[in-house]
Amino acid sequence: MTNQNISLVKVRDTLLVTMPADPDDATVTAFQEEVLGAMEKYRPKGLVLDISGVETLDSFFARTITETSRMVAMMGGQTVIAGMRPSVAITATQLGLSLRGTLTALTVDRALDLLTHPHPRRRLR
Amino acid sequence: MSDLTRGNVPIKSENDIIAARRVVRDLATHLCFGVTDVTRVITAGSELARNVFLYAGAGVMWWSILDRSGDVGLELTFEDHGAGISDIKQAMTPGYTTGHGLGLGLPGAKRLMDEMEIHSEVGKGTTVTVRKWLRK
Repeated sequence: MTNQNISLVKVRDTLLVTMPADPDDATVTAFQEEVLGAMEKYRPKGLVLDISGVETLDSFFARTITETSRMVAMMGGQTVIAGMRPSVAITATQLGLSLRGTLTALTVDRALDLLTHPHPRRRLR
Repeated sequence: MSDLTRGNVPIKSENDIIAARRVVRDLATHLCFGVTDVTRVITAGSELARNVFLYAGAGVMWWSILDRSGDVGLELTFEDHGAGISDIKQAMTPGYTTGHGLGLGLPGAKRLMDEMEIHSEVGKGTTVTVRKWLRK
């Protein structure tokens, strides 16, 4: 059982996924499966993961996000993580999380720009 | 009358991790921590609660509101009766894990909090206490 719904919408060539504020482990695990299923079903070019509502990003959630973006890449899609809150960015960095290998954007708008006009140097190392 | 400055949350399932997280959120918000400190305390609590579940299967999170001559803080103690940690120094090394995690839980939680103490005995269990003080 998951505690909250993940919103998953296809907009033109992009899959827009919105995470709930405080997802439990089951929701985070369901997120990975739902996203990969939707990649196959809708065949988008890219995936925008909107985490602007997320209040806590712990190591389990972060690892699932980086894993999922690698899986999406294996399927031929590009993931952009959008809208991380300042408090979450501070906490994630101090915790030692890196989201290595995933693209990030300030807003969903900018994430869509990135997918339309990719810029290789935006990739985090 | 019940004591409103201390309490506990049993950790027996994955769902209890989120239950612990919510209690920590309510406490930190109630104590008027800033938004970043609230996030830090919740995240540290989430990591330590998950450690209890992953490495010991079950345990308890004890919480208490501290008031040391006007200095207000939040103390969280995670207690389990699991296998224990044989080398605490190694367990505190970022990236070191005996499980399948990222190895960030203990060192990360220490960085996010103001104080941390670990007591562990092999075969008996582990107690991790963390504190965050309200900045004046």
